[in-house]
Amino acid sequence: MAKIGVFVCHCGENIASKVDTGNLVKALSDHPGVEICNEYKYFCSDPGQETVKRAIRENNLTGVVVAACSPRMHETTFRKACAEAGLNPYMLELANIREQCSWVHSDKDQATEKAIEITRSLVEKVKRNNELKPISVPVTRRALVIGGGIAGIQAALDIAGAGREVILVEREPSIGGHMSQLSETFPTLDCSQCILTPRMVEAIQHPNIKVLTYSEVEEVDGYIGNFKVKVRKKARYVDIDKCTGCGDCIQKCPVKKIPSEFECGLGNRTAIYTPFAQAVPNKPVIDKNRCTYFKNGKCKICQKTCQIENCIDFEMQDTYEEYEVGAIVVATGFQIQDTSVYGEYGYGKYKDVITGLSFERLASASGPTAGKILRPSDGKEPETVVFIQCAGSRDPSKGVKYCSKICCMYTAKHAMLYAHKHHGSNSKIFYMDIRAAGKGYDEFTRRAIEEDEAEYLRGRVSKVFEENGKLIVRGVDTLLGKPVEVAADMVVLATAIVPQPDAKEFAKRIGIGYDEYGFYNEAHLKLRPVETATAGIYLCGACQSPKDIPDSVAQASAAAAKVLGLFSREQLEREPVVAAVGESTCAGCWGCVYACPYNAIEQKEIRDRNGNLIKEVASVNPGLCQGCGTCVTFCRSNSIDLAGFTEKQIFAEVMAL
Amino acid sequence: MGIQEQYRSEAAALLSSGEVKLVIGFGAGSTADRRRPLFARTPEEAEKFVLDAACIANLSTYLVAEGLLSDGKKVGVFLKPDGIRSVNILISEAQLKPEQVVILGYAIENGKDVVPLEGCNISDFSIGEKIRSHTPPTHVIEAAEKIEAMSAEERFEFWKEEFAKCIKCYACRQVCPMCYCRRCIVDVNQPQWVSTSSHTLGNFEWNLVRAFHLAGRCAACGACDRACPVNIPLRLVNYRMGKEVRSAFDYVAGENSDQKPVLASFKQDDPETFIL
Ligand SMILES: Cc1cc2nc3c(=O)[nH]c(=O)nc-3n(C[C@H](O)[C@H](O)[C@H](O)COP(=O)(O)OP(=O)(O)OC[C@H]3O[C@@H](n4cnc5c(N)ncnc54)[C@H](O)[C@@H]3O)c2cc1C
Ligand code: SF4
Ligand code: SF4
Ligand code: SF4
Ligand code: SF4
Repeated sequence: MAKIGVFVCHCGENIASKVDTGNLVKALSDHPGVEICNEYKYFCSDPGQETVKRAIRENNLTGVVVAACSPRMHETTFRKACAEAGLNPYMLELANIREQCSWVHSDKDQATEKAIEITRSLVEKVKRNNELKPISVPVTRRALVIGGGIAGIQAALDIAGAGREVILVEREPSIGGHMSQLSETFPTLDCSQCILTPRMVEAIQHPNIKVLTYSEVEEVDGYIGNFKVKVRKKARYVDIDKCTGCGDCIQKCPVKKIPSEFECGLGNRTAIYTPFAQAVPNKPVIDKNRCTYFKNGKCKICQKTCQIENCIDFEMQDTYEEYEVGAIVVATGFQIQDTSVYGEYGYGKYKDVITGLSFERLASASGPTAGKILRPSDGKEPETVVFIQCAGSRDPSKGVKYCSKICCMYTAKHAMLYAHKHHGSNSKIFYMDIRAAGKGYDEFTRRAIEEDEAEYLRGRVSKVFEENGKLIVRGVDTLLGKPVEVAADMVVLATAIVPQPDAKEFAKRIGIGYDEYGFYNEAHLKLRPVETATAGIYLCGACQSPKDIPDSVAQASAAAAKVLGLFSREQLEREPVVAAVGESTCAGCWGCVYACPYNAIEQKEIRDRNGNLIKEVASVNPGLCQGCGTCVTFCRSNSIDLAGFTEKQIFAEVMAL
Repeated sequence: MGIQEQYRSEAAALLSSGEVKLVIGFGAGSTADRRRPLFARTPEEAEKFVLDAACIANLSTYLVAEGLLSDGKKVGVFLKPDGIRSVNILISEAQLKPEQVVILGYAIENGKDVVPLEGCNISDFSIGEKIRSHTPPTHVIEAAEKIEAMSAEERFEFWKEEFAKCIKCYACRQVCPMCYCRRCIVDVNQPQWVSTSSHTLGNFEWNLVRAFHLAGRCAACGACDRACPVNIPLRLVNYRMGKEVRSAFDYVAGENSDQKPVLASFKQDDPETFIL
């Protein structure tokens, strides 16, 4: 016989102001199977929980319904209370009469009626609940970090530093990300390479970190604590274990005029190349699309030059490796927006209209001009440089709606670097607002204005065109309310920060959410900023939103802390809400096998005593099942049931309404 | 030699060589214009096969009879394009192994001429307009369009009247090759989701459940329609569901046997109109 206790919570006034709890108690007291029904101001408080526990003990209750808030708020609280009173915690149901009732209704009579119905239906459900036991699953204490920019490197170092193994996957030939392209960094103006390269080297030399460059994550299966990932190591045509990084091959490669991606096209590279001098690993890669041998079957000069046998291998193929990991950190970073959408700024038309990232390369000591600010068109020093901020950001019509956050800062930095490198510099900055919130940030932009004489003009630029060898920048100064025209030698666009072009597709592949642009979604913007909605997958760096280095690094360490928290346990307790297949009725159509988003369903053979195959049926792996119920709804023969939400329970719940 | 003779001797040859254990075809029916399924196990029996424009049934439904193919032996079967489509669907749903089915394919043109279809393995038929053509006869489309043109209320009234006739004999389920489940959801009584009595609610529940279960799986053979003793135009429901699936997922059931069940599988370019 069912003996159900029903506990009606007022939630202060939250429920009681809209639901007549007295009536609710009266109605439920008469409901068949209800042994005891109480109301109280706050059942989640200590005395409230004590009441529930005492009622369980004194009345030998077989089930409990707390009519209160959403199970997301207090299911754990009351499950614990039940367990402490000796009742299986899964014999508890929360009837949500707050979010689903009192908060959304104004008519007290109707709200009360609805609250009664909701609570009744949960009583009918709980009568059919079964005692369940949490499933414990082992945790693989190894992490996968995807993306080897500063964020990924930092996360990997933190996890590895705590003694856990890390697989760091980077799709480019070298780790480092955008930070390796920067000249000096705001707000301290320290050289980017100087602070980054030690981290890169530490990562590759760390005994706990396995760095896989020129590799991509192809598949992610499994769940928190137990992911299986498949990594494709792209054919590099150079055996990095054998290669000493001497660079002789690069010297001899006859294809020398390939615009270097790393130099934003301002410098050239060869077909066999390392992207930059401090690349880690400092081992070349062959660009198959540009290599003469791959194009017409003749050359192999690099191979002939190489002193080491079989180091350069034109037959190399992509290889696949599988890893088991317990947690994944996504740190895939950003791209800059393609500025050619702004035809009026002349990007792509005039050589001396460049992006901020190109300016970084010009200002970089290791860059194509050895750190001199020279115009790409004629190599002359520009006398006047115009910087256009928000060239894409905060522009819903052509660019993106959001603020890219870092451009105000790096534009100020660019003006400063220009002033430091070129005396008599004349920089003019068109801006909408100067957003410089951050430690030392406002001081930094002030310095650009006050010490380095950057001239800030508040307003948008309407057009850039060439006249008598000058770039004429036409815009408005909204503070003076006047149109302005500046004759410049170079124009630098602070392009918007956008997600990686394949960000959405990649998110789908690994199973995380993204926003309208393709930046990855955190589980909660304020309270869970480094977790994704997929348990065990964490985020850091600019793949989540535009970020500067301090923020990226802070978030990377936060993600690492989450991973290490997970890895502090050997076992994870999982909800026993898992599906099971009724083998006698399963028709073996495999619909559920396709439908299951977690690949938790396998095919199983049923054999007779002599080993003859009778039939094949679906079989759920409870370790993988997340209890989503997709298979249950899919199965036409109604052969799958979900523990904790069985068809009988749901049916009783519905019929009670 | 006419097609009937040709296929009789092909069937006889399949049986006498032992390649197949059984050939499912048509024999004479109770009246001159009806044909009934004939199961030939010997070359002699194969001589009784009839093949003419009255052979419209979709014989693939017998292939999923419990235990028929569990010995791994092959079976021959006379199939029109719709039957071939259903075999494709059954293969993609793992109910048949392609190598176990030998097809004697034919098509009926202009309602009277019976022409052979080249090939004998299901893979021989996977392409080709005849198989791909999913257009049901014009009168079906016309009838469907008439219903589509109705207002929601009129449409509801129409189907209410039609479904009111249903006597829950489950002949539609019995004849449909896609209704191969050993236990149909209507036979589940713990809990009883679909009520068994043939009142309005029960009838709606049954006919709608069947419509959903066939969405993206119906071969458009019309067997259900013909089987229904009270003449409910069932294929119109299935035609409509097929149309929905086609417009949403660019998917026509039975085009080939490599298709993944459309409503169970996920493609990256699937529309997400249901996500608000
Ligand atoms: C012009 C400019 C100037 C800047 N100046 C400063 C400055 O002065 N100070 C400052 O603090 N910040 C500055 N920044 C911002 C800084 O670059 C970023 O904060 C930082 O690079 C973010 O690091 P990240 O690791 O998140 O991303 P990234 O640096 O973009 O690194 C991401 C890495 O992930 C890899 N990756 C991407 N997708 C995959 C995949 N699917 N599989 C494997 N690997 C993948 C990429 O190849 C890349 O190596 C500047 C940015 C720009 C554009
Ligand atoms: S969907 Fe149902 S019938 Fe089909 S394989 Fe899965 S459990 Fe079996
Ligand atoms: S409930 Fe079913 S579909 Fe969902 S994860 Fe479990 S087995 Fe897969
Ligand atoms: S639902 Fe009707 S038309 Fe469709 S395959 Fe089944 S029997 Fe044929
Ligand atoms: S064949 Fe007709 S009467 Fe029989 S169950 Fe199907 S729809 Fe109802």
